[in-house]
Amino acid sequence: MLRYQEDNELHRDFHGTTNTTLDYIAKHYGVDALKMILRKTGHDVYKSIHDKLAKGNASELIEHLNWFFYREQGKYQLTVSENEIVLEVFECPAIRHLHKMGREVSPYICLQTSEVNAGMCEGTPWVSEVKVVGEGHCIQTFRKEAGHDTK
Amino acid sequence: MIPSDHFVRFYNEVFKFLDERGGLKDYYEEISRHQEFHCLDLFRRKGLKGVVEYYEKIRKEENCILDLELRDDCLISRMACCPSLTKVLDNDAEPFLKYCDHCAGWSIPLYTKCGIYYVQDMIDRRKPACRSVRTESREVAERVRREFLEGGSPPELVNSNLDDWQEVEKNKSERMKP
Repeated sequence: MLRYQEDNELHRDFHGTTNTTLDYIAKHYGVDALKMILRKTGHDVYKSIHDKLAKGNASELIEHLNWFFYREQGKYQLTVSENEIVLEVFECPAIRHLHKMGREVSPYICLQTSEVNAGMCEGTPWVSEVKVVGEGHCIQTFRKEAGHDTK
Repeated sequence: MIPSDHFVRFYNEVFKFLDERGGLKDYYEEISRHQEFHCLDLFRRKGLKGVVEYYEKIRKEENCILDLELRDDCLISRMACCPSLTKVLDNDAEPFLKYCDHCAGWSIPLYTKCGIYYVQDMIDRRKPACRSVRTESREVAERVRREFLEGGSPPELVNSNLDDWQEVEKNKSERMKP
């Protein structure tokens, strides 16, 4: 069950404000500061996902990825096995909307994903990885490391 | 990707970080410049009708319970349920106590550039409801501000661009030029 499950209208222009914010923080406070904020967002805002991952339960993470990429009309494929979750995004909804608005895409747009995902996994048996294949195309992997005791 | 649904919870984290470093005002100004992309031309061309047009879109897309009343001399906006603060309060991360301040923070520079007076009463930073008035009349803006304060709103919760009235008047004159 999702902690946050919006199902009403979407304001996609928020991707533009995120984009501006990523650039602003990196320019004025450095990339490490940006990483810190994003990781904290992943850890604290998505506490419910994080806490379940810590117990070895990836159900909310899977639901989160599926629901929000579906809701934003992303083109994606989600593959789930016991110890690995792979989300291949063929067309990122955020980048698509930035293009639609004619905005320049922040060089930190994918850092947003990698650090938030890392924050969700921090201190849990799960590790995350984001491989950027091309603009708007990435492979997000969550892998359960062997040997972790989640009891 | 941070879903657009969850942007405000990320925003909340950014505010906490910046507040610790005294960096909120500069960031609000950057967001204001960003918002010019959506609002500046619209507000300059259409004045208060342009503001209504923009907020009708926001009301729908952001799921606000918002009443907009366009009168001859002003636009009265009553936000009965702000979805932004509602989400920040419904959050496993701690809400930033001054979260509401960002709204005036980006709005004031933008309205000043457009030659429009903006007076806002946050009412209570812990409740997702506020009221504001946009007008092209300094006299109306002064009266509204006075009414907010006389009605019991603390001065720190009432924001306006009345201190920059000369700039508002200059930009209004430029906007009105044929």
